[in-house]
Amino acid sequence: MKKALFFTLAMTLGSAVAAPFVHPAAWTAEQNTANKRGGEFRSYVISDFKTINPFTSAEADSIPGTMDTGTGLFTQDPRNDDLIPYMADGEPVVSNGGRRFVVKIRQGMKFSDGQPITADDWVTTYRIHTDDKVGSNSYDSFFLNKKPITVKKIDNSTLQFDFPQASAKALVIMSYAPWPDHIYGQAYRSGGAEAVKRLWTLGTPASQVVSPGMWVLESYQAGERTVFKKNPYWGEWNKDARGNALPYLDRYSYRVTNDLNAALAAYLAGQIDSFGPRNADDLAQIKRAIDGGNLKATLIANVSPQSTSQWITFNWNKAEDPDKQRLFRDVRFRRAMSHIANRQAMVQLALGGLGSETYYSVYPIFKNYISDAAPKYRYDLAQATRLLGQLGYTRKNAQGYLVNRAGKVLEFNLATNSGNTVREQLGRIFTDEAKKVGVKVNFTPIDFNNLVGQLTAKGANRPFDAILLGLAGGDNIWPFGTNTVPCGGNLHSYNNPTNGACLTPQESLMTKLYYQGDATLNAAQRRTIGAQLLKAEAELQPVVYLVGGNYHVTYSERLGGAYEREMMDAYYGSRTIALTFIK
Amino acid sequence: MIPFLLRRVVQAIPTLLLASLLIFFVISLAPGDFLTPAKLNPNISAEQIANLERNFGLDRPAWQQYLLWLGNMLRGDFGLSFQYQQPVLGVIWPRIVNSLWLVLLITVLFYAVSIPLGVYGAVRQNSLGDKSVNVVLYFLLGFPSFFIALIVLYFIVQARFATGWDIPVGGMRSDNYAELSPFAQALDIAKHLVIPALILAITDAAGLTRVIRGQMLEVMRSDYIRTARAKGVTERTAIWKHTFRNAILPIVAGIGGTLPGLIGGAGFIEVVFAYPGITPMLLNAIGTQDLYLIAGFTMITTVLLIIGNAISDILLAVVDPRVSVS
Repeated sequence: MKKALFFTLAMTLGSAVAAPFVHPAAWTAEQNTANKRGGEFRSYVISDFKTINPFTSAEADSIPGTMDTGTGLFTQDPRNDDLIPYMADGEPVVSNGGRRFVVKIRQGMKFSDGQPITADDWVTTYRIHTDDKVGSNSYDSFFLNKKPITVKKIDNSTLQFDFPQASAKALVIMSYAPWPDHIYGQAYRSGGAEAVKRLWTLGTPASQVVSPGMWVLESYQAGERTVFKKNPYWGEWNKDARGNALPYLDRYSYRVTNDLNAALAAYLAGQIDSFGPRNADDLAQIKRAIDGGNLKATLIANVSPQSTSQWITFNWNKAEDPDKQRLFRDVRFRRAMSHIANRQAMVQLALGGLGSETYYSVYPIFKNYISDAAPKYRYDLAQATRLLGQLGYTRKNAQGYLVNRAGKVLEFNLATNSGNTVREQLGRIFTDEAKKVGVKVNFTPIDFNNLVGQLTAKGANRPFDAILLGLAGGDNIWPFGTNTVPCGGNLHSYNNPTNGACLTPQESLMTKLYYQGDATLNAAQRRTIGAQLLKAEAELQPVVYLVGGNYHVTYSERLGGAYEREMMDAYYGSRTIALTFIK
Repeated sequence: MIPFLLRRVVQAIPTLLLASLLIFFVISLAPGDFLTPAKLNPNISAEQIANLERNFGLDRPAWQQYLLWLGNMLRGDFGLSFQYQQPVLGVIWPRIVNSLWLVLLITVLFYAVSIPLGVYGAVRQNSLGDKSVNVVLYFLLGFPSFFIALIVLYFIVQARFATGWDIPVGGMRSDNYAELSPFAQALDIAKHLVIPALILAITDAAGLTRVIRGQMLEVMRSDYIRTARAKGVTERTAIWKHTFRNAILPIVAGIGGTLPGLIGGAGFIEVVFAYPGITPMLLNAIGTQDLYLIAGFTMITTVLLIIGNAISDILLAVVDPRVSVS
C-alpha cells in the first residue's frame, strides 16, 4: 500500500515537473557563461505590420510570426537538418503505412496568459486555418495533392494526424503554431469565420494578445515601432544546456524603416542590431564604418547562397505560332540557351561578384540535394552554335542573325518585371551573349502584374515566348516545388495546358519522382530519389536557371550567441534568438 | 454666409460622385490585382487564390464592386483594406495624425521663412542680401527635397560618428519614449520632426518667397502707398500694414489647397526619414493594389479639397473687403 502510494506520488510529481526542452550547447558558438540577462534585440522591417491576427496574416515578417517563434511540435536542428521533437514529448508513433501519426504533447507548456497549451489548441487552429472563408495563408499546407489532412484530439495531451498519403514533410506540416482555443475557438464556435477575422486587429490593445511562443506583443505604434516582451511561461519548458530559463533577452523590437536605405542608415547609426546587406555597396558602407571605428559590429560577407533562384522559362503552349512552339519544345534549343547564359558575367556584372551560379531548381544552399550525376550546360557558345545548327540554323543573314531554310530569323521575346534592376541586367547580358551566336532576343521589362498574368495563364496558346523571373521559398526536407515540378501545377510555367497534362515522358517521370520522394519518410532514400529527379530535370532543361545572390551577415557587437560560422546560412540564419544575449 | 455654404454643399455632390467614379475605375484599370503576387508563391494553390478572390470580392466585375463601395461609403464605411483586413478609416487615421504634426510644423516654418525673406527682398531690392537669398533658394529649388534629405541624412550619420550626439536619423519617437515625462515626450517628438520639416520648408520656400517679393514690389509702386508715405506714415506701417496686407491676397486665395495637403503628408521626405506618416503607407498600398485603401484615402482628400476651397473663399472675404461671399 505504502509502495503504491509512493508510486502514485512519484507519477504525479513526474508529470507535473515535465522535462523541458534543452537547447543544445552546440546551437551557439558563444555560451552565455557570464549569465547576462535582459536587454533588447532591435530589428527592423521595411513595411508596417498589417495585423496581429495569426489567421489573416500574410506577411513574411509579421507580428504573429514573431510571437510563434519557439513553437511547433517538431523543430529542425541546424547542425544536420533533422526534425527533433519540440512541443512534442517524443518521436511520433507512426502507423497505417506512414499515414497516421500519434503525438504526445510536452507537459507544462503555457500560453503567455498562463493557460495551459493542450491538444484543443492544435485542433482549433487546424479548423480555422482550413476554413476557406477565413482566407488563411496556411490553408494549402493542410492539403496533400488536394486531399485534406485531418487533426484529431485523442486526449488533452495526445493528437492524431491522418494524412491522405505518406509525406516526407509530415513532421513539418504538423509543426504549425497552436493558437489559444480559449480565445479563437470560442470566437469561431459562436461567430464563425467572421468572428475570427475580427479578433486581434491592429487596434486591439496589446494586453489582450496571447502568445504560445517566446515573445508576446508589448506595444504597437503604426509605422514606427513594435515591441515584444518575453513570455515568462516559455522559459519554464525552454532551458539552455545549463538549465537556465530562456530567452535571455527581455525584449525584441522592430523599427519600421520603410526602405532598406533608411534601415542601413539606422544600422550605421547604431539604432538597430543587425542588417541584411544586399550588395557590394551596402557591404562597403558597413565595412567603412567598422574600419573607421564608428560602428562596432561583425561583418561576414558571402556566408552562403540565398535561397532564391532566377531563371528563364520557355513557353511550350504556342498553338498560334507552330514554329516557335516546335523550337521551344526541342530540348536542344533549351540546352543551347543554357550554354548561352554567361553566368559568371551575370555574377560579376549584375550581382557585383556577390553571387552564385545556378544550374538546378534546387537552390545551391541545399547541398544535400545537389548531385553530380545531373548535367550542367555551362557557358559555351561553340556548343550553343552546334546545337542550333542541328535545329537547321546554320546560315546567318546580313544582320548576323541565324535564319532557317525559309529565311526566318531565329528570334524570341523575353520579358521580365520592370523595376527589378538585377533582372533587367541579367536579361541584357543574356541578350548580348545570344547575339554573339546569332539569336535575336527582344528583351523588354514589363509590368509585374501583366507578367504574372502571362506566366500563370493556362491553355494551348499562352501569351508569351520566354520570361525571366525568380522564385523563393521552400525547405531542405524535400526542396522541390509542389506547384512547379508536377504537371498541372500553377507554376509548371513551361507547359500549362488547360487539362494540366504532361507533354513529354521526362515530365511524367519528374511528376512521378516528385510524389514518390514526397512520400518517402527515410531521408537517405529521399535524397536518392531527389538525385534522380534533379537529373531528369537538368536533362530536360525546361527552365534555364541563371544565378542567385549571396547571403551576408552583419550584427552589432552588443549581441552574443551567434552560430559557428559553418552553421550560418540563408536558411537557418545566423543565430537562435533564444540563445542570444546582450553583452 | 449660410446660403453660400448650402450652395457649396449642393455643388459638391456631382463633383464627389464624378471623382469617386474616376478614382475607382482608374485604379481598376491597372493590370492585375491585390492577389497577383500570391500567384507566384509556390506554396499557394490555384484553389486557394480562387477562395481569396471570392472573399475579397475580386471575382466580381468592377462596376459591381464600385456600386457596393459607393453604397457603403454613403453609410460612412470606406470598405476593408485587403492587406490589413480592417476598415480603411482605422488604418489611415493614426497615419494622418502623424502626418498632420509634421505638415503643421512644415507650414509654420514655410511661412516663417518665406514671408520675411520675400518682404526683405522687396524692400532691399537687388541688394547683396537679396541676391544671395535668391541664389540659395534657386539652388534648393533645383533639387528634389528627398534628394536633399538623403544628403542631410548622410551628414547626420557622419555627425553622429564624429560627436556621438544622439541626432535622430528617422522615425518620430525615441526607443525610450514611453518612459519619458510628458514634457520630455513632446520635446522628443519635436526633435524628430524638426530636421525633415526644415528641409521641406526651406526647399519649398523658394517659390513663395519669389511670389511675395514680386507682389510686394508691385504694391509698393502703387499710388496709394506713395500717398501714404507722402502723408508721413512710418516706414514700418507702410510696409507691413499697407503693402503686405494687399500683397498676400493671392496667397490667401491659395490656402484652401493646404487643407488636403495637411493630411496628404509630406511626400518622399517621410519615406527617407522613415517617418510614420501617410505617404509610406499609401505608396505601399499602391504597390500592393490595396484598392479600397487608395480609393478611400483619395475620396477623403477630395472632400477636404472642397472644404478647403470654401474656407479660402471665406478667408478672402475677410481679408479683402472687395470680395463678398453673399
